[in-house]
Amino acid sequence: MSVGVYPFRSCGSSCTRSFATSNLRRSAAIHAEHAQLLNKSTNALVSFPTKNHNPNPHGPLSHLTVAVKDNICTTHLPTTCSSSMLRHFTSPFDATAVELLKAKGATIIGKANCDEFGMGSLNVNSIHGPVVNPYQSPDEKHIPRAEREQRSAGGSSGGSAAAVAAGLCDAALGTDTGGSVRLPASYCGITGLKPSYGLISRWGVVSFADSLDCVGVFGKSMDTVKTVFDSISSYDPKDPTAATPHTRERAKALAESLLSTLDANLSDPDLSSLRIGIPQEYFPSELNITIVTAVRKVLERLSSLGAQLIPVSLPSTPYALSAYYVIASAEASSNLARYDGVQYGTRSPLLPGVDKSKPGNVYAHTRSAGFGVEVQKRILLGTYALTADAFDNYFLQAQRVRQRIKADFDSAFRVPNAQLSNPSPNPDGVDILLHPSAIRSAPRLDSDAVSGLGPYLQDVMTVPASLAGLPAVSVPAGSAADGWPVGVSIVGQWGSDELVMCVGKVIEGTTNEDDSDPNFAFDFAFGSIVDAVGRIDAT
Amino acid sequence: MLVRRCPWRSVQLHQFWRPRQIHTREAIYDKRWPDWEVVIGIEVHAQIKSRRKLFSESFTSRPGETPNTTVSAFDSAFPGTLPTLNPKCVELGVRTALALNSKVQPHSAFDRKHYFYSDLPAGYQITQRYAPLASGGYIKLSKGDVSVGITQIQLEQDTAKSTFDGLRRTSLIDLNRAGSGLMEIVSEPDMRSPEETADYVRTLQAVLRCVGSSDGNMEQGSFRCDVNVSVNKHGHAHGTRCEIKNLNSVKFMMIAITSEVFRHIELLESGRSVPQDTRGFDENKAETFNLRSKADSPDYRYMPDPNIPPLLLSEEYIETIRKSMPDLPDATRARLLNLGLSERDTDVLMAIDSGREVGFDGELGKGAVYYFDSLAQQRDPRVVVNWMTHELIGQLTARKETFSDNPVSVEQLGELIDLVQNGKITGTSGKLLLKHIIANRSSSAPSVLAQELSLEAVSEGDSASTRAWCVEAIEALPDEAEAVRQGNPRVLNKLVGKVMQLSRGRADAQTARVVLEDVLRR
Repeated sequence: MSVGVYPFRSCGSSCTRSFATSNLRRSAAIHAEHAQLLNKSTNALVSFPTKNHNPNPHGPLSHLTVAVKDNICTTHLPTTCSSSMLRHFTSPFDATAVELLKAKGATIIGKANCDEFGMGSLNVNSIHGPVVNPYQSPDEKHIPRAEREQRSAGGSSGGSAAAVAAGLCDAALGTDTGGSVRLPASYCGITGLKPSYGLISRWGVVSFADSLDCVGVFGKSMDTVKTVFDSISSYDPKDPTAATPHTRERAKALAESLLSTLDANLSDPDLSSLRIGIPQEYFPSELNITIVTAVRKVLERLSSLGAQLIPVSLPSTPYALSAYYVIASAEASSNLARYDGVQYGTRSPLLPGVDKSKPGNVYAHTRSAGFGVEVQKRILLGTYALTADAFDNYFLQAQRVRQRIKADFDSAFRVPNAQLSNPSPNPDGVDILLHPSAIRSAPRLDSDAVSGLGPYLQDVMTVPASLAGLPAVSVPAGSAADGWPVGVSIVGQWGSDELVMCVGKVIEGTTNEDDSDPNFAFDFAFGSIVDAVGRIDAT
Repeated sequence: MLVRRCPWRSVQLHQFWRPRQIHTREAIYDKRWPDWEVVIGIEVHAQIKSRRKLFSESFTSRPGETPNTTVSAFDSAFPGTLPTLNPKCVELGVRTALALNSKVQPHSAFDRKHYFYSDLPAGYQITQRYAPLASGGYIKLSKGDVSVGITQIQLEQDTAKSTFDGLRRTSLIDLNRAGSGLMEIVSEPDMRSPEETADYVRTLQAVLRCVGSSDGNMEQGSFRCDVNVSVNKHGHAHGTRCEIKNLNSVKFMMIAITSEVFRHIELLESGRSVPQDTRGFDENKAETFNLRSKADSPDYRYMPDPNIPPLLLSEEYIETIRKSMPDLPDATRARLLNLGLSERDTDVLMAIDSGREVGFDGELGKGAVYYFDSLAQQRDPRVVVNWMTHELIGQLTARKETFSDNPVSVEQLGELIDLVQNGKITGTSGKLLLKHIIANRSSSAPSVLAQELSLEAVSEGDSASTRAWCVEAIEALPDEAEAVRQGNPRVLNKLVGKVMQLSRGRADAQTARVVLEDVLRR
């Protein structure tokens, strides 16, 4: 095992190492062999190309190795969605995002494990088995791998996150419907971007919930994430929900003035024009207190660079999780109706004596056998939400909550939403929101947190940005008391992906410095947030 | 405020909680059921005549196409595929709406209708449940000043075709049709008899064909009717309706309605009530049968389609389409009559025109009216229509050919008419020439052909030839010549006919008449 590919990070600091230097030293073939070996311990990747064929070896991304989540279509590898239903399915076409990466010379090293059809927060609902978080806490360095505690890599894009964290590849594509990129990035201690809805084409992304699904990018550094994002964020006429070039331009113009004042590449960037909102609703009672400590350190550093910290309120946040599960499940029940074993995919042979004249009998058999428990649960919930009796009280109600959440965000941001026809600027607003990515560090795979209601609660911090279609990036922010990684999320107005990544890079730079100045003085704003957190904790 | 942010919600309330508006019409006494009033409404599913499918790039298929050959990954609902709305289908839908006096909605949207069946690969059909493309409108029937209201027009996907192979006890699926565009045109329950219903269907077919939005072929399944029938005693409230599905000819539709009316009357007269059923039609027994009752009707779990953004149509776009629309049958008819054509000629022309092939994507077929219009530019329309309906179509009919087989180009017939009108050839020669062109599928110019066939008329200056034919005619028919001399002018026609025969039609009948009279007087 060469030094360059040492898979386990001891702390957040190694993530700034350039992917280019680490990878140019080894050939693709050695890498592939190596990758399979490393993969055994994490179960991150589920299929590998038989030969490493790069049709564009001189493209701008020819130095880049990428893993692709198994719900994104590839012609050269199966796309199973971690479901028994698509166990042997290979798509006849490449997803647009994959096509763009290939065209620019990136090497696809394999397909990444995930929760079945993207449904889950811990990557345990998979026919390929759970993904094991490759992070190695400093105390465990000398314990043999088999005896270390096994923690979840987060989900649903757990395989993508683990593959990057373990050094199997430079970057990975995931999908984020309600936090499926940000949560695993946080648990694995890497960077994960969920871009604005509509920027990366969904053509070839197997739909879980169309109105929420986004292709996301993982990397060990913000630079890698940005390189990949820039390569695949372009208008695609094949995606009817894609942001048009006009809207993209508009959003870019709106973000221009602030971006020009920030230079994340400086060692001490001047953040005096940056207004950071701290949403009080994102510090719920379930939040582990050592995570608050990590977030506080990040805020201290940003404040020391001149950023203004402003407490904000997004009052509809408490309803977001319920609305999310109604909408996502309703759309899932619709999108997954196609898996019936008639056109493609698994078809379970009927038991003798079944009345075949009723389609219900034939379909139910295949669908009961082909879908996992979690997927079935959500299909049933979504089907119920769409029935004539429940539609008003569940589906429409959830849509109303979604509108309120969007309105909450729009009134919080200084920059107006470029998607609105008559946006009005809000001079008192903030430029970005900052909050913990998750309520805790990665749970143990054998703990109670991976069953019951626990997995659903994991999404509480991430679903509001999904419902509003906003860009959000989770960047490593040190570790919790248990020594495992903590992530902070930066959320921006629609289309301000570049700003979000820019602030992410600043945080990345400061987190890697040695621990903060002990003489840091709380400013007034931050003090009030801590008060707010205290109040929430008390209730 | 919240309701306003859910646009489909307000539409939904408006649509579904609105009391059913049934236009009151004067009671019609039908001797088949003198005490009863029959109320009929129709849902028509007309296949949009577009080259490509509603949401995918694959071609729409023609009848007889090899199964499963015009299918894209989207049509077969492969994971990862997304719909892209075909603007041609929207355009044809808008044309239809305008033709039916319907209000095109500036904002319409697409919804998913869910059910599991092997002919529906995605498990849902994309349709327009909550905000249809157009609402309101009417269509005037051809007989008895009746106007039938249009409730709404919506775009939706067609399903695949499943055929049951009884021998192998297997269902065969052909995905060629899956995802083709349909227009669902819903009428108000404004019809009162099977005959009016047939009139509605035929009128609607003619309108769709005219604007090029559908070829409206019931037999081939591109125009499918679901008919709602209810009966009530005169002066009473409307009865419970039953829906008869999948009727595939106007004749069977009328039989089905009639049998359904009698079934309802029989139930009601025996003191029973009519259950709200969905029914099929057995062509052999000429009666309807129960498919499912209301209690079994499935919950389609309609949901706004999260992939397809709302369809926003500007006033400008609608106006552009309105301006480029072909004339509707009524307007064409009025225009032709205005040109001085007789009712009869107009009817003949339009009847032939209605049989023209409908082009893809609204490309206008070149039928009889187009042919007439091209000819009538700078020519007397009445002369043109005479040549078309009497000579051209007459000769085609005699050869058991139809107008679509017509080998005579507009240029050829135009030149031919001009030759006759300018006296270069006689009318008789013209007919002969036309016959020659049709029989030989000749593409030569009529003037060249006239020369080749020696059909050029004798010029006015060339009185010697005419005089010679006249003398020859008098010699050939001495008795007739004598009769004329005795003062019987009607017999002169016989001599003129002889001159024409001798000259093979080249002589001018009027000149011949003058010359004959002159020769006989001497």
